[in-house]
Amino acid sequence: MNKWIRYGLLVLVIALLGYNSIYIKKLSDIKQDTSGKFGVKAFVQKLWKEKLPAKLQTAVTIDTLQTAIQSNPATAFEKYTHALALGNYRYALIKTIAIVNAVNEDNVAITLSAATPVKATLVTEFVYGNALRDASGLISLKDFPNTTDLNSISEELNKIIRQQVVPSFKSSLQPGNKIECIGAVQLNKEHIHFNDLEIIPVSVKVIS
Amino acid sequence: MLAISSSYSLNTQRLKRFQSLIALLLLCVILTVLSDKFFSSENGLNVLRQTAVNICIATGMTLVILTGGIDLSVGSILALCGAATAGLLKNGMVLPSLDIFIGFTVLGAILAAMLIGWLIGLFNGFVITKFNVPPFVATLAMLTIARGFTMLYTQGQPISNLGQQFVYIGAGSFLGIPVPVWIAALVVLIAAFITQKTKLGRYIYAIGGNETAAKFSGINVSKVKMVVYAMAGAMAAIGGIIVTSRLDSAQPNAGISYELDAIAAVVIGGTSLSGGRGTVWGTVMGAIIIGVLNNGLVLLNVSPFWQQVVKGAVILLAVIIDKLGDKKE
Repeated sequence: MNKWIRYGLLVLVIALLGYNSIYIKKLSDIKQDTSGKFGVKAFVQKLWKEKLPAKLQTAVTIDTLQTAIQSNPATAFEKYTHALALGNYRYALIKTIAIVNAVNEDNVAITLSAATPVKATLVTEFVYGNALRDASGLISLKDFPNTTDLNSISEELNKIIRQQVVPSFKSSLQPGNKIECIGAVQLNKEHIHFNDLEIIPVSVKVIS
Repeated sequence: MLAISSSYSLNTQRLKRFQSLIALLLLCVILTVLSDKFFSSENGLNVLRQTAVNICIATGMTLVILTGGIDLSVGSILALCGAATAGLLKNGMVLPSLDIFIGFTVLGAILAAMLIGWLIGLFNGFVITKFNVPPFVATLAMLTIARGFTMLYTQGQPISNLGQQFVYIGAGSFLGIPVPVWIAALVVLIAAFITQKTKLGRYIYAIGGNETAAKFSGINVSKVKMVVYAMAGAMAAIGGIIVTSRLDSAQPNAGISYELDAIAAVVIGGTSLSGGRGTVWGTVMGAIIIGVLNNGLVLLNVSPFWQQVVKGAVILLAVIIDKLGDKKE
């Protein structure tokens, strides 16, 4: 085959593949165009800035939660916890004072100041799951047509925690520090225990 | 006497050529007797679907081993290319300084991932041939480098929700056969065509048989080796695309120890680790044997710990039989 025809065909194939492989848009147009698509970033930003702060004020103290669950688990879970899915896992927003035991690579080991001190960890590296989304009680299943959108909310919330919340406190923490912390926890209705709680941090302030 | 001897030698050669197939058939017969769930079309397709990724990687590995080399980085290349596919598909590329967003279609993301796999393989080949670094060391280094890049790119988090169109590649079926099986079949056909019908294929065998002789006969050994490692990289990328699609998620720790399964498939398939001898078809048989073995052991409720022991023993047995065959020849 003639060399030029061969190269011509090659260029044609590459052009066809390229045309069907990528599309280029102006970045400013993309940011404006949210029509028909769930804008998870904007939704979560609004949730984080406008709705969540008020919810954090209503977070239950670890003592209150522990006492309530011990006296009447059903009522306590109904009053203080939320979950979008069926099952034994429930999620709560808790606030607590704690002492830092160790600052590890993946978490911060703390002891919660409660009537009976409780060992717990602030998750700082592997922030997964739906703990904050569900614990907030701000999301309703009825408002979303598919689970992909619901999951993307958790994904976005967890990203904010990893990228904004954790860097805001982790480097300044030292063993012995006293902190005030608000975060989301997962509890199992069938196996209730408060030791080794994993807290997804939403707000952490160093007191001393 | 001479006639009897040559007839015996011919029979041994034939037996050797089909030893993987015979082993596979034997294994299937044994598992059919032991488990009533084994022999069904559904389970057969399930085994093939699970084996497809290993077939893709092992096919590339066969080409590398035929040249007398080894590629330990394929598992990490799989993870990196899977992550790249997912990342490009979901987030595209943003160039803020130019106010440009480049979005990728499914085809675009796949081509980009294959290109990345190809380039990493090419780099492996370059390091091995230009700096005389032993393939074991060069690809071991790439194993870590590619895994590190995967972690950096994904920030250690999975990239999920990639869309139905993409998920079809790993989870869909065409004409009743899982799409990954079609893809693996295409990869094998291309590799078989290259090794059996092209000049490159003959060069690969020549280099594996005797690299010095190949060099003196005018073969550009470096170029052939670089192409072979690049092909192995691209095939690992295809494996990565299938895994990512099947899970609808790119996992940063995907593909860990996949290189060992691929090497096992190659060895069980009768390819000599010293190069120059073996076929892609043998590797396919090897990969299916491993898949059937995994499947059978699960159906027989064998503990996962014992499964590893059995798998290792089978690989060892395959190598011993191969070596005994070499001695007789």
